[in-house]
Amino acid sequence: MASEASGAPVGAPASAPAPAATPAPAGGNRQPTTAAAAASPTATATAPAPASSGSQLTPVQLKAKAKAEKAARRAQVKETRDVAALAAPVPPAGGAASDAKGGAKGKGKQQDGTQGTGAQAQGRPAHPHRPSMSGRRPSILVVEKDVRSGIPECFSHVPMAKRMPASQAHKDVHPAVLAVGQEMATFAIRDSIARLEATLLAFKKVIESYETPKGNSLSRHFVPHALNPQIEYLTECRPMCFSMGNAIRLLKAKVNKFDIDTPEDEAKEGLLGAIDVFIKERVMLAEFVIARNAAAIIKDGEHVLTYGRHRLVEKTLLQASEDGKTFEVSIVDDPYDGGGRELAKALRHAGIRVFYSPNLGGLNAIAHRATNALLGAEAIFANGSLQAPAGTADVAMAVSAQLKKVIALCETINFDRERISVDALTYNEVDPERNTAESFRLLFDNTRDKYISGVVTEFETGSGLSPAQSILALLRKQEDPTIA
Amino acid sequence: MAPSQAGYAPSLDKLLKSLKNHPLEASIDALIFLLTRRQVHGDDCAIATAHILLQVVARSKWNDVDQLLARVQKAGSRLVYAAPDEPVIGNIVRRVLGLIRDEASEERNADDLSESASDIQTLTTSSSPPPRPPPLVRSTTAGGSMSVSKSMFNLLSVADPADLPTGASTPVSQAQPASIQALRSEVIDGIEEIMDEISQADDQIASFAEIQINPGDYVLVYRPSKTVEKFLVKAASKRRFTVFIAGLEPHKKQGAEAPYAALRKKLNAAGVNTVNLASNGLTAYMARVSKVVISAKAVYQNGGLLVDSGSCIAVQAAEAYSKPVIVLCGVYKFCPQDPSEELSWGGVKGNSSAEVSYAEGAEVDELEVENTVTDYVRPEHVDIYLTNLGPQTLHHFAGILADHYKPEEMLLSLQLGEA
Repeated sequence: MASEASGAPVGAPASAPAPAATPAPAGGNRQPTTAAAAASPTATATAPAPASSGSQLTPVQLKAKAKAEKAARRAQVKETRDVAALAAPVPPAGGAASDAKGGAKGKGKQQDGTQGTGAQAQGRPAHPHRPSMSGRRPSILVVEKDVRSGIPECFSHVPMAKRMPASQAHKDVHPAVLAVGQEMATFAIRDSIARLEATLLAFKKVIESYETPKGNSLSRHFVPHALNPQIEYLTECRPMCFSMGNAIRLLKAKVNKFDIDTPEDEAKEGLLGAIDVFIKERVMLAEFVIARNAAAIIKDGEHVLTYGRHRLVEKTLLQASEDGKTFEVSIVDDPYDGGGRELAKALRHAGIRVFYSPNLGGLNAIAHRATNALLGAEAIFANGSLQAPAGTADVAMAVSAQLKKVIALCETINFDRERISVDALTYNEVDPERNTAESFRLLFDNTRDKYISGVVTEFETGSGLSPAQSILALLRKQEDPTIA
Repeated sequence: MAPSQAGYAPSLDKLLKSLKNHPLEASIDALIFLLTRRQVHGDDCAIATAHILLQVVARSKWNDVDQLLARVQKAGSRLVYAAPDEPVIGNIVRRVLGLIRDEASEERNADDLSESASDIQTLTTSSSPPPRPPPLVRSTTAGGSMSVSKSMFNLLSVADPADLPTGASTPVSQAQPASIQALRSEVIDGIEEIMDEISQADDQIASFAEIQINPGDYVLVYRPSKTVEKFLVKAASKRRFTVFIAGLEPHKKQGAEAPYAALRKKLNAAGVNTVNLASNGLTAYMARVSKVVISAKAVYQNGGLLVDSGSCIAVQAAEAYSKPVIVLCGVYKFCPQDPSEELSWGGVKGNSSAEVSYAEGAEVDELEVENTVTDYVRPEHVDIYLTNLGPQTLHHFAGILADHYKPEEMLLSLQLGEA
């Protein structure tokens, strides 16, 4: 928050006279702008100026500022290059490209970025990582510089989580968010609901420590200056999941609804309360209701097939067992994840008979034996197709090919009402551990709605089981009564 | 999959090299040992079986055709029994049995010509054999060179009895060794031809590669066998495309070379991009894939495939995205039988201890861990069967099977299983 405080005084006094100064500087108004102009080069030399201050400078000052920044950047790049040259020759491609990009935009954030990559290039080689097989880059040092360089060209559009040194983050990022971002980048928090919950709790911390600068209103200032840097940082650590996107949209809507002169304390209280209600309703209650509804579908003597380990599936199976039902479970695992084994242990512990298959081999036989399949989803698209851990689609197809029920479990917060996806290459993520031609993996796949008999959500419907589209219709009608 | 073979471990190469020095029974036992441990698996089974049967014909004691058939059948069924998930062994046994019957009937026909009636009794099979067409069908299918050599053998075999000075008065004991010797050498030649066919199959299949692979294709292969590797390398010499290699071993040993490094190096050198897909499911990539190429361990009469476990995931995903599936299989892999009921609903179970460590405690102990080594692919999922005789469809199967197996051997499946 110290940075927030130092950034505000530069922006705040200038904000009033600047609009007048830009078209035609009148005599009386000159004083504050020149002061800002004098201050800005020194500011950029010592620390990158906040992005907000750039918009309030005159073209001349902007030019001077950009020039100073460029000089600083050049020196920096040269420094990096010198260090790199000690170890190996550096192809100019990577550095020059980012340099040009930074120069064109002339923003503090961009400069921050180049600084970061330089630090990364020097710091990374210690990290034990396989060298890429692409063969274009001559040295390990340079290969490490761009973690995306190894991704095969046909998948180069797919985003990937990346570990970002905390020092590289925007200065406005809250420490709590920093921690969450790191956990997401390292996949310590991985499934969509856990990420959602962690994000919201961190945002609560952001709200608590937020102070509206003088002359501003929370409803106008909070989102662009306090919230957006956090979101940007989190997205950089790992592409946002749909539940996070939905929650952030609702949160922003809530902020925008505050009257411009709502007292800050009242607004903060309102936001914190809304987040609490949100977590309670859309996460905790949803989980409970889904487990209950889905457990009701399982009948005595059934044989349930599931893939990997999903929180909702686990809850459901344990709930059904608690309800006194006797059934068997086949777990098909993903050997690159291994969560299924943990699920197997948990279910064994509850006294359920478990068949465990370490990979998709023999899937047809397992599907033949099963009476239905319970699959956990990461998200559901507007066209009803499922985004779920890679391999789920294969399981769903095998089971539905034998005319057995395929039931997906998903909280409504994971529904996306705008995006449509018919294959797994449109919205996906590259596994950061396996991102080269030598070993490549996508995290998710896409299960078309025709392979899914129904989706269980926390919405009460007649049977607790409804096609994905009907839930979307319901959502659209209700327009989120909880927060918005 | 078979564990990597250490320096001192028995291997097929060593076995084949030592065939001449060891007693016959020891060689058979050694191969059975390798088969049960799956140290010989896949395409090696066929050639190994042919080698062993060659030894059986060449070195075991037999006085007439019946004895020879019995010996081959006995050794064959032991091999089949040792590796029930390798039907190709049974195919080779059938081919060799059919070959012996063919040669024997030729011998008899030759004898008939020379009117040496006494020899018939010893050479023909016990009961009256069913009339069968002259064995020309096989020679037409196995390539031009074979038919030439075959006709030369016919010349010899006809000439042999004719050379004998007297027909009716010849003592049986004298005539036998000569004709048996002739039969032996002919059967050995026939087995060698089968071995040639097996070893050339991959190259012949690869020669169709440039027709099947088009520039810009994204080809998905699952655990590429030698057949698929040859096919890809051949295609790479003519075409620019991208290969996705799926079905890697998930638990890579520390310091081990990247999977399929040799193949990838070859393809990359030819300008073909390769991507190793370290993934369980394959549907995610199917939108990009333009065709799927797999090799079969065996092709059943109904067109269904016996494949390495996991290949059926690739095939199923291809089906969902309507991508063509090309199956590479030498004709020697065509089985004159249908898949067992058990197989068509499930794979053959393999070793599970590799997948779950029992050190993990009591919960794991009670798990029923399943790990399959083979899977079955239904015929409707296959678009092209690319054999050494060219691309085939399901409609040609009956013809191909009739060309390669005799009716007696087609019915052999049960006997082989019982041994």
